[in-house]
Amino acid sequence: MSDITFKFDLKQIKTEIQTAIIGCSQRGLLHSTKWLAEMNIALKDVDVDSADITSQHSIWNLGDDDADLYTLAKTYFDLKELDRCAFYTEKSTSPRTRFLHLYSRYLSGERKKLHDMTDSTLPPDPTQNSSLRELSAELRMEYKEGRLDSYCLYLYGVVLKRLELVRDAQNVLVEAIQKDPLHWGAWLELAALVSDQGKAPLTDIPNHWMKQFFLAHMYLEQQMNEAALEIYYLLQQNGFEKSSYITAQTAIASHNRREVDSAIATFRHLHKEDPYRLDNLDVYSNLLYVKELRVELSQLAHHVCEVDKYRVETCCVIGNYYSLRSEHQKAVLYFQRALKLNPQYLSAWTLMGHEFMEMKNTNAAIQSYRQAIEVNRRDYRAWYGLGQTYEILKMPYYCLHYYKQAQQLRPNDSRMLIALGETYEKLDKIQEALKCYFKARSVGDIEGIALLKMAKLYDKLQESENASAAYIEYVTDNESSQAGEKSEVSQAYKYLANYYIKRNQYDEAYKYAHKCLDYEDTREEGKALLKAVAQTRSQSDRELMVGNITMSC
Amino acid sequence: MAGAGEMDCEMKNINDQHVNIDTLRKLVRSYLDLHQYNAALFWADKVVSLSNDDPKDVYWLAQCMFHLRQYHRAVHLIRSKELDKTHPLCHYLTVRSLLAASCYSDALQLLTMVENDNSLSRTTRNTSIDSMGDGMMYSECPANLQSSILFLKGQVLEAMDNRELAADCYRQALRCDVFCYEAFEALIQHHMLSSWEEMELLDSIPYSEQCSTPSEASFLRQLYETKLNKYQGSPQQLSEIKSNKYPGQYPETPVSGAAPSPSGSVFKGKLALDISQSSADSLKPVSRPVDSLPNLVVKLMPQNLDVLVSKAERLFYNCKFQHCLKLTEDVLKKDPYHSSCLCVHIGCLVELKKSNQLFYLAHRLVDLHPEMAISWFAVGCYYYIIGKSDPARRYLTKATVLDRLFGPAWLAFGHSFAAENEHDQAMSAYFKASQLMKGCHLPLLYIGLECGLTNSCKLADKFFLQAQNIAPQDPFVMHELGVIAFQNREYERAEKHFEDALKLVRSIDDSVAEKWEPLLNNLGHVSRKRCKFQMALEYHQQALVLRPLNPSTFSAMGYTHAMMGNTLEAVDCFHKALGLRRDDTFSTTMLTYVIEQLVDDTQPFEGAPDKMPVFRSKKGSSSRVHRIISYDDQNPDDASMNIDEETDNVAPISDTVNVSEIANVTADSSTLSFEVEMHDSSSQTLDKDSA
Repeated sequence: MSDITFKFDLKQIKTEIQTAIIGCSQRGLLHSTKWLAEMNIALKDVDVDSADITSQHSIWNLGDDDADLYTLAKTYFDLKELDRCAFYTEKSTSPRTRFLHLYSRYLSGERKKLHDMTDSTLPPDPTQNSSLRELSAELRMEYKEGRLDSYCLYLYGVVLKRLELVRDAQNVLVEAIQKDPLHWGAWLELAALVSDQGKAPLTDIPNHWMKQFFLAHMYLEQQMNEAALEIYYLLQQNGFEKSSYITAQTAIASHNRREVDSAIATFRHLHKEDPYRLDNLDVYSNLLYVKELRVELSQLAHHVCEVDKYRVETCCVIGNYYSLRSEHQKAVLYFQRALKLNPQYLSAWTLMGHEFMEMKNTNAAIQSYRQAIEVNRRDYRAWYGLGQTYEILKMPYYCLHYYKQAQQLRPNDSRMLIALGETYEKLDKIQEALKCYFKARSVGDIEGIALLKMAKLYDKLQESENASAAYIEYVTDNESSQAGEKSEVSQAYKYLANYYIKRNQYDEAYKYAHKCLDYEDTREEGKALLKAVAQTRSQSDRELMVGNITMSC
Repeated sequence: MAGAGEMDCEMKNINDQHVNIDTLRKLVRSYLDLHQYNAALFWADKVVSLSNDDPKDVYWLAQCMFHLRQYHRAVHLIRSKELDKTHPLCHYLTVRSLLAASCYSDALQLLTMVENDNSLSRTTRNTSIDSMGDGMMYSECPANLQSSILFLKGQVLEAMDNRELAADCYRQALRCDVFCYEAFEALIQHHMLSSWEEMELLDSIPYSEQCSTPSEASFLRQLYETKLNKYQGSPQQLSEIKSNKYPGQYPETPVSGAAPSPSGSVFKGKLALDISQSSADSLKPVSRPVDSLPNLVVKLMPQNLDVLVSKAERLFYNCKFQHCLKLTEDVLKKDPYHSSCLCVHIGCLVELKKSNQLFYLAHRLVDLHPEMAISWFAVGCYYYIIGKSDPARRYLTKATVLDRLFGPAWLAFGHSFAAENEHDQAMSAYFKASQLMKGCHLPLLYIGLECGLTNSCKLADKFFLQAQNIAPQDPFVMHELGVIAFQNREYERAEKHFEDALKLVRSIDDSVAEKWEPLLNNLGHVSRKRCKFQMALEYHQQALVLRPLNPSTFSAMGYTHAMMGNTLEAVDCFHKALGLRRDDTFSTTMLTYVIEQLVDDTQPFEGAPDKMPVFRSKKGSSSRVHRIISYDDQNPDDASMNIDEETDNVAPISDTVNVSEIANVTADSSTLSFEVEMHDSSSQTLDKDSA
């Protein structure tokens, strides 16, 4: 990933972008057009003779003889009269109208599915997809005959993806990209499909400048934040510094790296620059939530609500806001609204799962998390959430599997490792549990409990040497901070005092017994221990006394 | 009556002093042409009186009565003039009227009487009708009267349920007059003949004798060919079957085990033949690609509706319902009540579950043609697809009452029972259908299905073999044979059948239709049973391409992965299956098992160390600690090995336990899933009947 060469000819890039904008907008691919247009404006200082392009590609001058039909169909399409658009374009063979026909059929099917959704906690029934199957059969036939252009290939890929035929979808999308590397939508779909293992198709991808955007996006998805950031910084240095998209992506990367403050700063900056931009604001609200910045979050919620009530991002921001105010019922309501708007919206599913967890509704939580995973298998929070719910349900095997998935996605996140360890402990697999805690410790224990857990386990295994070592480490870690759980620390001192008494190292024992006095719950025992130390020291018959002490403990 | 124009005035009587009788005759004819039968009747009556019962005039009078549906009156008129046995046209009309009046035995009596009287002269007439064998009797008759009478006889016999003889009569009629389409249709439409009998018939028709040019002959033959049933093999194949299998018409099923190999080999041979001869064959077999309709016909009349319908039927049999529907819609746009097209159209609508369209169609049909069986059939089908079996049955019964020979209605009637697991009643309906449609394998196929569902595999097998006898090239039958073999745990044989079916389906069309998803899944099941796990996965994958997001496919894949030891993939698959169908007990059980297995199979996390980590404190470096650690270092393998062994010991036990569990579970689930599939397939074959 480091062998990226950046030799951008910005002029050419801009020309390409402008051509692609026309292609995409003619086909009603609104999001790709938007993305491209944003890129285009980011390059506004680059001079291109754009009159050239637009004249070449005006609606009436594309060599098609069905421009009239196309205009009609496009109007219907824009007005969302999808079935009507599909009807009029049914027999047309020119590429633009053909795509409009297929695309409007696809969209119409999806829209109908949305409208038929009865229960908002459930996604549309995935088995009710006859129109999608029909479309895929038709596209398959044309694909075999090699009649699909890059846009239709993209659509075919999307349809395949919706039908969960991942492998085929991948290949088709790669083909689409090969034919037209500027179609950002195709890249996006592909990024969602490339699993961690299946990097094979990446070799077929043309070495286009768009590939950098794709790679960065994919790295971000796969939690390879450093690699993503590297590319984004390079892109920013090479002419895209004004792109709000890249800025937002870097903010997300910081978010993933738990650099909350810098992420918030970036978002704040972005928000100031482009106050009506709603994209990714749900991530921003997550950050504010984590930092418990109530006022900011409230302000944001009101603002986005004013901008557009019915956007998924808006609903998520408001949901987060209510969640922070512990109004979980209302939060769920807003997440559900988000999902009604777009059942494929990942973070709403996950967040809703969290809310259900708060409300102790494990069933609904499982549903939501599962949906989140259906949408995107790489959402570690959903996997982790699933693990938690199954932990509550006391199904450790399931729980273990989910934690493992989460851990795989975030190999260096100690929380997953601790959770794994705890589950192994429940299954009496102490070896494995120890390994997990060990690893958690080595990757940087966020919660600071790995050592303690480890010590307890060693104790359980009667390996007192290891246990004591771990405890010592634990208390030294906590000595400075004092923030750790008091009772846990005191227990550690108690253990150590006992341990050293047993080993006749009275100085050490005295030291730790003394520490016990600092804590409420071990004060009495501390005193007893001190007494015991003193006694054993004074008396010659040590063995007996030790026995007594252990009895008294 | 068709020969009305041929009448001329030679026979005119002289006693028309007052009235010109010929003008009156012309009047009668013109009124008949204009379908003003009462006026025609009035004048015909006068003509008869004026002409002193000239037989021709009597004939015309009777014809008017016939048109007015006064059948008994017509019969009485002719009988009273004693023309019913002497005058051929009158004879014909009498029989027709008797038939129309449902006096079948009278009609038959009359027919046989005349036949016996003329049996001697008959042979001569047959060869040269025009050369006037016996006087004037046949002189003015249309040339095809003879075949028409034969056809009538067939109809009478059929009405009397003497279907064998009826078929014979139809055949004779067709031989007499190759253009007698009605006889041909009667033979074909009602599935009277099995496929090779149909082929024989097609071969035995003397085209060249009666057609003026060879091209006309081949045109005619091809026209008929388009009408033939769509699921039969080419004549070569048929002859081979006959030589191999025909001797005992329905071969007894030998004890299972012995059966597979011979039938399998027959198939192999046939398939080979199929491939090698397909190019040279002018008579395209069965379900060949759609374009392989006889060229001449298609070339001459590409827009002829009958040709289009025949094309649609082919599409229907190849399960290309979308295409087929488009075609039938086109045809119905041009001719909204094209009866044979309606049948295919309704079948398509049922198959695609377009209830709204079917509702409208049925309403229109019933409003316009309450007397036609197909109207009520459409109504019944509508209720069938919206899942209301009771009204469905009521209307289907109505259809069968209107036309007892309307096979599709009987089959749909059976389906309506089958859909509610009323196996016995379903079977009896199918039996009725099989009696009516001797040459159709579908009723037998369905009976076999029901037998299979009621766990009488042997019987089912027998019925399937019978069905295969009738339609040896029907992949559906092969598929069902495979299913039964699977249920009998004869996996090798099942695999063979499935593979044959798949080959056949592929040979019809490279892109396998969605209908065949169960076949691919079953191939997956059988491959798994035969421990070809990789292949099983591939088949399931293909099935998923045809019908994505099918939960049972996912759980089958999961099961295969589990058998292969790919626990992680198995977990994924079962998860997916459960995501699609939450109340799937098999997947739930398996998932629990697999997920537990997974814990033992995989490391806690990627790159986890093999041995237990030892905590090295920075401070605690006393000698004893060291010793212990070093002890640990020396022996960790022992320790871990012990543990491993323990787990190993535990694992196999749990394995065996679980394996037997799996076996039970799968036994359940396989029957379960198969039941589901069989339901699928039963519904999939449902529609064929209506074509």
